[in-house]
Amino acid sequence: MLSKKKCVAMLLAGGQGSRLAPLTTYIAKPAVPFAARYRIIDFSISNCVNSGIDTVGVLTQYQPLELNDYLGTGSPWDLDLRFGGLHILPPYQAQKGGDWFKGTANAIYQNIKFIKRYNPDYVLILSGDHIYKMDYDIMLQEHIENGADCTIAVIDVPLEEASRFGIMTTDEKGRITEFAEKPENPKSTQASMGVYIFSTDALIKYLEEDEANPESENDFGKNVIPAMLADGQKMYAYLYKGYWRDVGTLSSYWAANMDAIGDKPELVLNDPGWRIYYRHSFNYPQYIGENALVTNSICGAGNEIDGKVNNSVIFNNAIIEKDTDIEGSIIMSECHIGKGVKIDYAIVDHGAVIKDGVTIIGDRSGDPVIIERDSVVSGDIMEGGRK
Amino acid sequence: MNAVGLIFADSYDVAIDELTAQRTLAAIPFGARYRVIDFKLSNMVNAGIRNIGIITTQKYSSLMWHIRGGSFWDLDRKQSGIRFLPPYAYEGVNSNYENRLEAMLAHLNYLKECREKYVVFGCCNYVENVSYEEAMKLHVDTDATITCIYTKNPINKSKNLHVTTYEIADDGKITGCYFEDKLNGSQKNVSASTFIIKREELIQLIEKASRSGGVSFRNDVLVPLIKEGKVMACEAKRPMLFIDDLSCYLKSNLKLLEPDTRKQLLKNEDRPIVTRVKDSAPTRYGKYAVVTNSIIADGAIIDGEVRNSIIFRGVRVKKGAVVENSVIMQDSTIGTGAHLNYAVIDKDAVIQDGRLLSGYITHPFFAGKGVVI
Repeated sequence: MLSKKKCVAMLLAGGQGSRLAPLTTYIAKPAVPFAARYRIIDFSISNCVNSGIDTVGVLTQYQPLELNDYLGTGSPWDLDLRFGGLHILPPYQAQKGGDWFKGTANAIYQNIKFIKRYNPDYVLILSGDHIYKMDYDIMLQEHIENGADCTIAVIDVPLEEASRFGIMTTDEKGRITEFAEKPENPKSTQASMGVYIFSTDALIKYLEEDEANPESENDFGKNVIPAMLADGQKMYAYLYKGYWRDVGTLSSYWAANMDAIGDKPELVLNDPGWRIYYRHSFNYPQYIGENALVTNSICGAGNEIDGKVNNSVIFNNAIIEKDTDIEGSIIMSECHIGKGVKIDYAIVDHGAVIKDGVTIIGDRSGDPVIIERDSVVSGDIMEGGRK
Repeated sequence: MNAVGLIFADSYDVAIDELTAQRTLAAIPFGARYRVIDFKLSNMVNAGIRNIGIITTQKYSSLMWHIRGGSFWDLDRKQSGIRFLPPYAYEGVNSNYENRLEAMLAHLNYLKECREKYVVFGCCNYVENVSYEEAMKLHVDTDATITCIYTKNPINKSKNLHVTTYEIADDGKITGCYFEDKLNGSQKNVSASTFIIKREELIQLIEKASRSGGVSFRNDVLVPLIKEGKVMACEAKRPMLFIDDLSCYLKSNLKLLEPDTRKQLLKNEDRPIVTRVKDSAPTRYGKYAVVTNSIIADGAIIDGEVRNSIIFRGVRVKKGAVVENSVIMQDSTIGTGAHLNYAVIDKDAVIQDGRLLSGYITHPFFAGKGVVI
């Protein structure tokens, strides 16, 4: 067995995801359920596996219990390996003290030892909070052909949205000439996806320099990338053209879920050549009752549905009783929706109970109504949550 | 539980020809996502049995592929776990066993190597969710030599097939064992072909029966012990769905549409029935989907009408197709405008646009694995 890996992936999964609250009150953002049976992090890990990367370090920090349970030994992704595989990397105490991860770059810096163990030529840095299906191997090949020190995956975004992202300006060969984090007047529409490939030596050198700089916020986008660019390192943009969504806000999370429904969904989950792997819970196939009408929706397992469901995403083991009408909503696992309920534009979090006859209607111009985890709703909710 | 499990992947009494043409009985798909053996395996694991041997004779490739190392049942352990016992001929034992006695005789070494005190062994010609702990308690408390699990309500047991019935005294002792040509009368105690016995005693009994030329576990082991009054009966109280022939198979699948059956068989929270993980996508319903009273597995894409049916993983029901009272197995496609009634469609079949296929509950229409109609 080889005693080295060509490429090791480091997955940043410690973010709080505060804009996704209250879905992230008890769980880290990468562990937030998505598309009827997945967690957000399944997409990044499955991309690794499908791209032939079998060594993944997952850096955790915020509310790690459920995320750690979910990841386990990595067996759902076939990453329970003797050499390589999935490793959870929490902050730790060492002889000279210890610290929380101060920023994305510091999180990797604190785990340089983990990287060195596999002696990789390349390190892939990912964030565990995007929904996309991407072959990192194609990007790696470009990185190698360019002889790059760092390659940053970018997508083309509309100009009016560009100021929300880190924006790259490149020359005709794709070499990055300028990088601006959330610029007011963006010079291009190539936005960073938060997916980086570094040649290992360059990464370690710049992480050590960054750590030695007391002024630094220890962040890839704010500090490490600009420092490398300033030094004239060979940095390239890799233009990715497939499906990619940042699910950082409640409305973008809702919209990305809706991308998985329809006759020709934007987010194809049934692709046998690019499976999204996930940890299974014990359940049984779903039952659709005599009074049900389920259209244009996706549903997980173990549900008992007897009501009308349209344009919606239903997770596992939910009960939806008769004469109930669910439209444009996300119903998470273990929810119980009573009889004669009407729900439109809402996210009902895990284990919530909606009593008979309740009406919940969100305002489509704002965020969907959020019914919090394990809550019991017996009165109507009109208009919606935060705008 | 201090017991080793032994599963006969073939039944030596039953042949459901259509579905076993390419697979062993234990590997028959059932209930939208399971295979028949999942029930027996899960029952054993739920009872705390951690060492399970599976005796196979023929066509066991799909069964092995389904079970693999047993990881889905947490049976991929360093100590014990799943052990496949495929046939091998030795010392005059036929490699193609014709009965359970012969099968156990061939694998006597396996039984001798085990360390567990008891053996729980049985066939796969039905699905059930049964507590072997209760049966074991009864077995130990009554100090029986063998305890036989039986049912008073053999759901969808074929009326045209051999059946083993027990005569049971008030104290639960079996006083008679009958091999009847067909099931008749209503109040019968039908054998579930599942037994509990001390491992050492089973080994001795098999060796003894074999030496005296025995050919049947029932006739040459069980019946003599019954005469000695050493056999107890334990009733399986939950639904036991038989799959003796194609009609019974269809009826037993459709029986899952009853909430109570589903609850007792599949939704029993302390006793989950576990099957192989496939990483299927969620079920996707299209704009034109009309689904009522049906069980739909994950990975299916439904855009037609489905009524009173069981739909397995990865099935496509296209717009305008109608599926009624049917079982559609994994990855089959039902084309636009096709209409199926009382049909059993095996895996990977393609029913092309506009086909009208209908059987009846007693004589379901059957399309074999990979067939294109």
